[in-house]
Amino acid sequence: MEEFFQHTLNGLSFGSIYALVALGYTMVYGILGMINFAHSEIYMMGAFMCYYFALFMGFSAPSPINFTLGLLAASLAAGMIGYLVEKFAYKPLRNSPKMNSLITAIGVSILFQFGGQIIFGANPKSFPTLIEDKNLFEVAGSQIHLIDLLIYGVSALALVGLHFVIYKTQTGRAMRAVSTRSDMTPLMGIDNNKIISMTFIVGSVLAGIAAVLVSIKYPKIDPMMGNKIGMSAFVAAVFGGIGSLHGAIIGGLLLGVGEYYLIGYGASTYRDALSFSVLIFILLFKPTGLFGSKMKEKI
Amino acid sequence: MTKASYFLIGFAVLGLVLNYFLNSYIHAILISFMINAVMALSLNFITGLADQFSLGHAGLMAVGAYTSAIISKELLADQWYFIPFTVVVAGLASAVLGFLVSLPSFKLKGDYLAIVTLGMAEIVRVLILNWNHVGGPRGYNAIVKFPGFLWSYSFGLLVLTITFVTFFRLKKSWFGRNLWALNEDDIAAEVMGLDLVKAKRSAFIISSFFAGVGGGVYAHHLGYISPSSFSFLISVQILIMAVLGGLGSMSGSIIAAFILTALPELLRSLPTGKVDIRMIVYPVILISMMILRPQGLLGRLELMEYLRMKKWNKS
Repeated sequence: MEEFFQHTLNGLSFGSIYALVALGYTMVYGILGMINFAHSEIYMMGAFMCYYFALFMGFSAPSPINFTLGLLAASLAAGMIGYLVEKFAYKPLRNSPKMNSLITAIGVSILFQFGGQIIFGANPKSFPTLIEDKNLFEVAGSQIHLIDLLIYGVSALALVGLHFVIYKTQTGRAMRAVSTRSDMTPLMGIDNNKIISMTFIVGSVLAGIAAVLVSIKYPKIDPMMGNKIGMSAFVAAVFGGIGSLHGAIIGGLLLGVGEYYLIGYGASTYRDALSFSVLIFILLFKPTGLFGSKMKEKI
Repeated sequence: MTKASYFLIGFAVLGLVLNYFLNSYIHAILISFMINAVMALSLNFITGLADQFSLGHAGLMAVGAYTSAIISKELLADQWYFIPFTVVVAGLASAVLGFLVSLPSFKLKGDYLAIVTLGMAEIVRVLILNWNHVGGPRGYNAIVKFPGFLWSYSFGLLVLTITFVTFFRLKKSWFGRNLWALNEDDIAAEVMGLDLVKAKRSAFIISSFFAGVGGGVYAHHLGYISPSSFSFLISVQILIMAVLGGLGSMSGSIIAAFILTALPELLRSLPTGKVDIRMIVYPVILISMMILRPQGLLGRLELMEYLRMKKWNKS
């Protein structure tokens, strides 16, 4: 029972990371109808930017300030990279068939992965200790670490922030409008391009935050690190119903917990297959995902 | 088909010449070109004609390769003259997998095939990794090969020709035109009485069959396969070939497969350390193609049609 509780806690902490990354996929899909394969690379770049920022600032002793600064730097850099990718790779293809932007997205993703191997080196780097991990207290025999608590806290904060942006601001309203009827929004005085860029930035900022949170828990970063988490997060987005924000969060948490049970109870080599088996079952039995709206194709 | 027979004779003579005048390095590249061309054709059929994006051709290829290797090793006592037979069985195995994949993929309109095939390839890879009998991550080795270059060349050429002619004829047949129709405007096609799901599904099964055949040839060409030979990047490589040649153009796929098999070999001398230079060149080609010339080299036309059109435009 204690073990079960511990696995659940670990799963939730990883699940909240999945949720953060999945939101990026789901937002872009909602607004452009395109799977942004490069999203996992933005996540990777977030981790690397934070790493170089820490090197540049010469962070030596772990402290909460360093952690906050690193988090800010990573999210800013990720947002910037997301914006640039959108501007240079996807924008020229806005009016061409969807297949073309999908292919470009794959190209961008591979370019980042292997270009990263050339620029940053292919070997894993050890991420600086931005904040010291301690054992805070025990609940029902499971230890609660500071880092886990931070992961819960920061992702919850980020989610609340996202909720605020999407549902309480003008930009958020415009985003929702564009994702519903992108052909009508220009008539209402909304600049679609600006809103699409904004969506990319918001999604990328979340990915950057997720990258730092993962890197303080598992302090090894390499240019291929986005691959695995990107796929799982994407599955989480489909699981929750792609295009639905709350679906992505729930899907991410469920998937994270499921993966940790699988690891904890001895089938860890099948971990990579789990997310995709879930995906195929979802598509077989409830293709719209848990919270996806059933959109009837218009004739 | 007189032109085709000229091509065949030309290729046969070329094979003889190559056999006696070139070294085994060129031979190996030539065979991998043929395998790549088969894979690119197979992907082009489903992605170019039916507009269904597959990201898991490496998975189908892996199933074909392992099926063929296991059958010839376990059941047929490593006899090389059974290779054509095991390759066909490999194709059938992949076609069965293709059918299974098609079940969840076409329930909704959209890029679901891409997602499901991506997952399928990953599941296949993980299953092979965990299957100790075929070596798991260490790979499966000592698979029977053809006794000489001329044999493997002729067999590769035969497979490539059959694949090309099949897809070429299918493209011009009623079935191919159905696929074109659903590619152009699926609603109109449906109104004309076309069963979209059935058409897409059949196209994907045919495509899977040839992907499996390509995998079988691959296994018997190298004599060694491992799960990492069928990673996501292989699917991407196949995709790039189909896109570069022009989605919907069968001869374009062959040309692109040739270019993209030869190019990395020429670039081998570049100093990039441990990083595979292909993985830098490919995405750059892909992105610049999509922005500058999204229709690929030939667009939807076949080589002859393309040349004819050029001539027409000039006069």
